[in-house]
Amino acid sequence: MRSTAPRGTLRKILKKHKPQLRLAANVDLLVHLSFLLFLHRLAEEARTNAFENKSKTIKPEHIISAAKVILKKSRG
Amino acid sequence: MLKRVMQNQPQVSPLAPRISNHEDTQEAHSEVPSKRVSSMGELQLPDVAPQDTSITVFHMKKKRKKLSISEFERAADSRLPQYQAQSTLDSTIMARSLRLSVGSLLAPDTVEKRGLLRRPKTRRAVDMQEFEGRVEQNMLKNKAGQNDLMDSQSASGIRTSILTSDAEIMMNSTELFVQPQMDEDSQSKLPALEPQLSDSKTSAQRSLISDADQEEARLEGRVSSVSTNQGRTQSYSKSSNLDDEHVDRMTRVSPETPEKQGEEKLDHSQQSNPMAEISFTEEEAVCSVYRWSSPLPSKGSSTKLGSLVTLNVSRMSLKQVVSCIIEDLDVSDTEEEVIKTVNGVEQEKLSQEAAERGASTVHSEHLEKKLSEKAELQITAAQNSRGETEMAPSAGEELEEGSIGGHRSPRAEGEITRGIGAESVAGHSPAFSSFHKPEMTPLSETDEQEDELQDQAVMIHLDSTVEEPAEDEVEHPPSQEVSMKTPAFVRAPAQNLLSTPHVAKPAAPSSPLKLLKPKTVPKKLRTSEKKPREPQIPRSLIKEIFRHFAKMPVTRDAFQIVEKCSERYFKQLSNDLEAYTHHAGRKTVEAADLEVLMRRQGLVTDKMPMNVLIERFLPLEYRMLLIPVAVGGNKVIPCK
Repeated sequence: MRSTAPRGTLRKILKKHKPQLRLAANVDLLVHLSFLLFLHRLAEEARTNAFENKSKTIKPEHIISAAKVILKKSRG
Repeated sequence: MLKRVMQNQPQVSPLAPRISNHEDTQEAHSEVPSKRVSSMGELQLPDVAPQDTSITVFHMKKKRKKLSISEFERAADSRLPQYQAQSTLDSTIMARSLRLSVGSLLAPDTVEKRGLLRRPKTRRAVDMQEFEGRVEQNMLKNKAGQNDLMDSQSASGIRTSILTSDAEIMMNSTELFVQPQMDEDSQSKLPALEPQLSDSKTSAQRSLISDADQEEARLEGRVSSVSTNQGRTQSYSKSSNLDDEHVDRMTRVSPETPEKQGEEKLDHSQQSNPMAEISFTEEEAVCSVYRWSSPLPSKGSSTKLGSLVTLNVSRMSLKQVVSCIIEDLDVSDTEEEVIKTVNGVEQEKLSQEAAERGASTVHSEHLEKKLSEKAELQITAAQNSRGETEMAPSAGEELEEGSIGGHRSPRAEGEITRGIGAESVAGHSPAFSSFHKPEMTPLSETDEQEDELQDQAVMIHLDSTVEEPAEDEVEHPPSQEVSMKTPAFVRAPAQNLLSTPHVAKPAAPSSPLKLLKPKTVPKKLRTSEKKPREPQIPRSLIKEIFRHFAKMPVTRDAFQIVEKCSERYFKQLSNDLEAYTHHAGRKTVEAADLEVLMRRQGLVTDKMPMNVLIERFLPLEYRMLLIPVAVGGNKVIPCK
């Protein structure tokens, strides 16, 4: 896996969505962690969908259906 | 222990289908086994003794994690490609199993590599002259998009050059470097260029026509020639154009190689040239040659015309001569020489027009230089000449045309600056402009008059199929100017390369500005257009992470969707974080807020504390930052 997380980019994204919100130190690392876990979940779900479809590759349809579920789960 | 391992080995089948249940464990252990492999490898290198310990450790670990050796091997096999480098295992049993797989993986590669043969390089040495000629051609072609015209003109230019050479011989010109070289070169180059020239007679005709136009264009710049033209009939003016073309072509020919000639001729051959034009072009060529060579009034032109016509009866001979001339120019032409000759010739041209037939080649070179120098001034001239040359769409030697076209474009600029309203002649091949360039020095009314005459000649030739799109002719003056600007702009660097510090005549104070503008404006636009890009997670990172987690091939379209999902996720995330922070009465997001979020997401549970997740997924550097570590000396990192 990559060794570095795009900390600056993460901060910019957060600022773009919520300019008034401030971030403490190293918080963006935890944001990165949550992002990783989100992708992890998404990949697992997509893989399961692909298996069910008996296809060897993950196709966009699999991901779309997976995203619906996982985004709902990740709402907090 | 070893026996047990060996017994277990045959049970392992790396191809056995894995149940999803095991996958997770494997995933978790895949990293671990890899580490073990590497560690084992390291251990084995120095000593064989520790093997047992490593294996025992391995076994213990296996028991702890309830992973059999078979599972480990399978995982290890799956990890083999990644850890081949690490697998320095030599003697352990695990190493053997790994080695088998590794060997099988490596063997095909090595076999393939041995069989790899290097293809014989089929590169030929670059001929500098050819290259220069081609560069010139390209530059010329870029001007005003009048490639066809230029080609025709170049072809005609070649013709005119032939004509001029013939005329020179006839006229016994007193120019240096002309006749003997011409003869020799023509003879030597005849066989070489004949196949190229044998494209079609029409091409020769076209070249004649274009030459005539070009010559006329050239003559425009010349006072004497211009004056003579005016009094002449249209045909005469056309011949003067031919002369101009010749001059231009001569200059063009030098940079161009015979190959280019062949190419151009082919292009021209495609062009349709009515036969009627042929004779006319010949006449024009004759006239132009005459005019170019001699500033004398039109009186003697008629006689010379006749002589020239007789000379030019056989197209093949012309072709040959043209080819010879072209080769001559290619061989003998060098920038330095041209520059010198240009400088010298410019002054002499006017005076020696009468005997310049023989020096057509030399002049052509000079013309090139001049043209490069006076590109700006000769826009108008080029336009006029273009129109005329279009009238004579002779396919002709394409080389000449190409070169002439380049010349003409600068000439056209000069003409424009003169304020010549020969817009109808806008279609004139750029060769004209080139012709005009060298003649810009003697800028005078005659030039304008010549342009007018050329326009007339163009009108006459309107019937003839003009390759150059009529659009060019129909172009409005400003559009022409604009089109000329680009050639000037394109030519500017060429000029810098070729020309001496000669500066274009004042006729174009605007042209320098025009030259500058295209250069600077694009830069400004680019720098000011740079927009602040929206922050987004790099696609490569998303791809990498997703691919790592998915462990399956993913289509490219799928990644777009993943990207969109991640964007939406970040939006959700920011909203949630804001809600939590606000709920806590703070304005700054803290780690606690993140933990709350992950708990609500279901990622962090009582069984799975946050720190474990950190340890799992984040690299060590980040882990050190996030999790306080107690070190000796009563220290805690990071310090609180």
